[in-house]
Amino acid sequence: MRHPRIRTARSSWCPRGLLSFALMLGLAACAPEVVRQPAQLTPTTGASGATIEVAEEASVAVGTGYSRVIRRGSVWSRVGRLVQGEVWKPVGGVFTVEGAHIHEAYLVLDGDRVVGFYLPVEHAFSPAPGTPTRLSVRRRDP
Amino acid sequence: MTIARWLVAVAMLLLGTGCATGPKYAEVVSTLPALDPSQGRIYFYRPSAFGAAVQPDIKLNGVKVGTAKPHGFYFVDRAPGDYEVSAATETEKKLTFTLEAAQQRFVRLKIQLGVLVGRIVPELVDRAEADGEIKDLSLIPDPLK
Repeated sequence: MRHPRIRTARSSWCPRGLLSFALMLGLAACAPEVVRQPAQLTPTTGASGATIEVAEEASVAVGTGYSRVIRRGSVWSRVGRLVQGEVWKPVGGVFTVEGAHIHEAYLVLDGDRVVGFYLPVEHAFSPAPGTPTRLSVRRRDP
Repeated sequence: MTIARWLVAVAMLLLGTGCATGPKYAEVVSTLPALDPSQGRIYFYRPSAFGAAVQPDIKLNGVKVGTAKPHGFYFVDRAPGDYEVSAATETEKKLTFTLEAAQQRFVRLKIQLGVLVGRIVPELVDRAEADGEIKDLSLIPDPLK
């Protein structure tokens, strides 16, 4: 025979647990938009630009609660320049940033620091929040 | 029936319905029409059967190109340019990317838990990752039907 107090405790816990779960899922659906600033890309002139190879994996925050890993060994080709830095496109791979939606993105480096992302479809710059992540790379100039 | 039994019953229902059938990617890839070098090709595929009842329309730049059928794949050829893939259930999730001439892009349709129903998240994946996931999926020859 069940103790009535136990039954009371269970019946009050279940709706609260389900509510918490639903709220958690709801919050997951409410990620903010990726921050975008209009940007003018000045393309690299010439047939081919420089490339870099990432020597150490790095994680960069996007500012939407998400972060992105820049994989060790990934190769990036310089495609142009923004006011904020040089723009590097992945070679043979894809790179995206995510908030409420997902956007193809290129890295924007100021020297060896990741200052943000360039969104080629939106023609926009998305700044990386906080202190810029230093990226360990090997440069291969053309 | 307890809540746990209800959840199991719903999960079984969602897992077991509406998957794509037909020839697998590995069997048909060599017979697919050659890509016009002035165009790009976009593959759409959904590797998971979880939440199989959730099959929203998949739109490319606002035009329906198919649905998110579990264990299925299809493709469209398009001119180079900027593209937006969207899938709407209780919320709409979009993916934007560029397409170049002769380029092949792979969009994975990932199911994600939602508040009331699951939601489909279109993700851009690279060829190596897609090759590993798409090989056992079935071609949907007419995705608009």
